[in-house]
Amino acid sequence: MRQEEILYMFPQAMRGKWAQAAAQADSLQEIRMRVNAPATVLIGNREWFVDGAGRLLDRQPAGAACSAEELEAVLKHLCQYSVYAFADEIRQGFLTVQGGHRVGLAGQVILEDGNRVRNLKYIRYLNIRIAHEIKGVSDRVLPYLYDRRGGVLNTLLVSPPGCGKTTMLRDIIRHLSDGTKYGQGVNVSVVDERSEIAGSYLGIAQNDVGIRTDVLDGCPKQEGMMMLIRAMAPRVLAVDELGSEGDIRALQMASGCGCKLIATIHGESLAEIRRKKYMRDIMEDRLFERYLVLTKKNGQCQVEGIYDGEGLRC
Amino acid sequence: MLKLVGSLCILAGCIGWGANRIGEEKSRIRHLQEWIRIIRRIQNEIAYGKRTLPEICLLLSESCPEPYRECFGAIYEQAGRQEGEGLEQIWQRQVAQCLSAVRLPEEEKEILKCLPLDPGIQEEKFQAERIGQSMDLLTRKCRQAEDAYENKARVTTCLSILAGVFMTILLL
Repeated sequence: MRQEEILYMFPQAMRGKWAQAAAQADSLQEIRMRVNAPATVLIGNREWFVDGAGRLLDRQPAGAACSAEELEAVLKHLCQYSVYAFADEIRQGFLTVQGGHRVGLAGQVILEDGNRVRNLKYIRYLNIRIAHEIKGVSDRVLPYLYDRRGGVLNTLLVSPPGCGKTTMLRDIIRHLSDGTKYGQGVNVSVVDERSEIAGSYLGIAQNDVGIRTDVLDGCPKQEGMMMLIRAMAPRVLAVDELGSEGDIRALQMASGCGCKLIATIHGESLAEIRRKKYMRDIMEDRLFERYLVLTKKNGQCQVEGIYDGEGLRC
Repeated sequence: MLKLVGSLCILAGCIGWGANRIGEEKSRIRHLQEWIRIIRRIQNEIAYGKRTLPEICLLLSESCPEPYRECFGAIYEQAGRQEGEGLEQIWQRQVAQCLSAVRLPEEEKEILKCLPLDPGIQEEKFQAERIGQSMDLLTRKCRQAEDAYENKARVTTCLSILAGVFMTILLL
């Protein structure tokens, strides 16, 4: 099924070229297409070139450069021949397609009012990132996310980029929503600003985020949190990548409304997070009752530590 | 007696031919009006609903009369089959098939088959406007047909009766 999903991203005429790469669906991480350069794929952290016949080569093939027409055909196909319907996403530089795969786009930016991105034209670079949903990745940390009465604890996932915090967050959301042996399933609302958590396509979550989960896709976090609290009355509110004082203020308001919070933030350690000005206050107020710190050792993502609200290891 | 029956048959045949011509024109106007409604709906769904074209086809298949209901249903279904065929090819094939049973001049059929559905425009309003150009063309043709319809019908009726009478006299 995954192999077909990858082939479906290409128009009929190009499927032959991508068949060999798609056959490696389980370890395929990335497909990159650039105009006037050969296509490359990342399979199991190793880069391969794709020649005109679709063979995977470890050195640059001659005369296998992608053309602008080829990229345009792929883009149109990904947009279901309705590019206008994806204009907001294109403006942000990415698309989410069926299966939750994300397509990064680059080209020439059209600005308005001096510095606001109005649109992208001459899209000449595509980076298709294959979604790999890993279920069960949060099993080990689940007992720490509930209090003794089965209530969910406000939790912050701290991780440097590429250590799987979104994957962990998604799995936690799924567990909280479906229910576990530690607590009953609760209504979870997700503000998925960049469609990374649920991987929504045409409004439908492509990743399993649980049966009691509502997703607000493509909405800025601050507005999204308030909208969801007013509209969906969640017990748990989940957001990815806190990054501004506004996000923190919205979190504090959400907490004041009785919601439990699950969030992620970029960072190497708790000490580093504490140094961020906008984080200091909420850490002192103990808004979060659990901190999960993720790290990568020998290429493997793992939980470095679980801490309580005071920063003590659990 | 035979001559009388023969004359009546000729007269009836000529009047029938005239009525058929008038019916064809009426049917052409009805189909043009239906297409104008369809294109307007496509424009609105693009500009305000930001729906994708296959989705719009699904909506049309739920609201249009036959033969268009089946045609849009088939477009939606084939676009969703993930065979990698472009929407324009599917549209052209299905619309051509659907219009083969509809009495419209070839020029008008061509406009409908080649609606600029997929110019790759990123802004929904411009995309809707682009499709609107075909609608303007069809609206003009429809208005001309409506304006000319009454006169055309009158002339066709008169001509068919006269032709019948003329042929009867000729044969007698």
